[in-house]
Amino acid sequence: MPLDDEAIAEIYREHGPMLRRVVWRATSDANRVEDIVQEVILRVWKQAPEADNLRAYLITTARHLIVDQHRAAGRRPQQAQLGEIAESDSALDRALDQVLVEEALGRLQTNHREIVRCLYYERMTVAETSRRVGVPEGTVKSRAYYAVRNLRVILDEMGVTR
Amino acid sequence: MTTGLDDLHVMLGAYVLGGLSDEDHRTFSEHLRSCRQCQTELGQVSGMPRLLDLAGPEGGPHLTDAQVGAPVPLITEPDDERVATLLGEVGRRRRRRRAWLSVVAAAAAVLIFAGGAWLGPQLLGPSTPTLPTTRVAAAPVAGSQVRIDIALVTRGWGTQLDVVCNDMPTNGELALWVIDRSGKATTAASWRATPAGSSRVTGATALRTNEIQSLEVRTGTGRVLAAAQT
Repeated sequence: MPLDDEAIAEIYREHGPMLRRVVWRATSDANRVEDIVQEVILRVWKQAPEADNLRAYLITTARHLIVDQHRAAGRRPQQAQLGEIAESDSALDRALDQVLVEEALGRLQTNHREIVRCLYYERMTVAETSRRVGVPEGTVKSRAYYAVRNLRVILDEMGVTR
Repeated sequence: MTTGLDDLHVMLGAYVLGGLSDEDHRTFSEHLRSCRQCQTELGQVSGMPRLLDLAGPEGGPHLTDAQVGAPVPLITEPDDERVATLLGEVGRRRRRRRAWLSVVAAAAAVLIFAGGAWLGPQLLGPSTPTLPTTRVAAAPVAGSQVRIDIALVTRGWGTQLDVVCNDMPTNGELALWVIDRSGKATTAASWRATPAGSSRVTGATALRTNEIQSLEVRTGTGRVLAAAQT
């Protein structure tokens, strides 16, 4: 049915750059990035999801593909030990989660991101953050509250549910 | 300092991220003991520090000016060309799929139609939020007149199975079985037949949609009434 060609192209244009970043950061293999991204879109086409929360679906699909390819690569020379597979899978999962958390921080609005940086990564107090950013302490607290909530929503949307 | 209830609630953010003064920390801890709403919200975000730690001590490229890691390799082909490659592949697989479908369709087994599900949102309108869903019609086995439609909804925890049955047996028990790629069958739902012979039930399986080989609706005695390949 020609009607879904446009839908596929649309998904590819909209989510391709994000997927490419995630896959690249997770695999560090320039030759595979575009192949994996295209395969993700092809799978989505094949499984024909309806379009809501597509981002989580695409990322989960990419995750499965990367893990599967990783396993296949591990098996090829000789059957890898189960433990090894599990171990490298969890390392891969961690790498993927890292990329997704970084992506999520990038999608946070600037003034929320700034608060997360001060309070969490720079271990500043609310009072210090208030001076650095130049807003009252109450504003720091409420921004911290919405930053955490929004981050949770963004991560949920990306399928990072832990 | 007087602290209103809203001021108390918002402290949750800095409580999770760190940075509350000792006094605020004590005040919020006390509040948390009796506030259900904050307890619930804390449950949703308490894993945040562990996730934030994944991004490294500085929070990754979006929080630092320095570029962490190598940049994404430049794509030299123009975007349209890659889209064309992708659509070419879709066309190829679609033809292959259609050929395969026509074989199976002779047995009236499968009604999944890859492209068809894209029609869903268009018919329902864009405002209907839906999850990735595959719909199949289970083909009745010889001697059975049942009509069964199953929607496989991709969920974070596995697959939700929405079953709509008509012209079913009017007594006894019925069950939905899920068979995985290795042939292992498990029950995903069971229900009692209704005098009207129709029912709508929802089942669940930990299997992902693509790990499900087939679905069967069986009677309590194990007789298969209808089956669907995915």
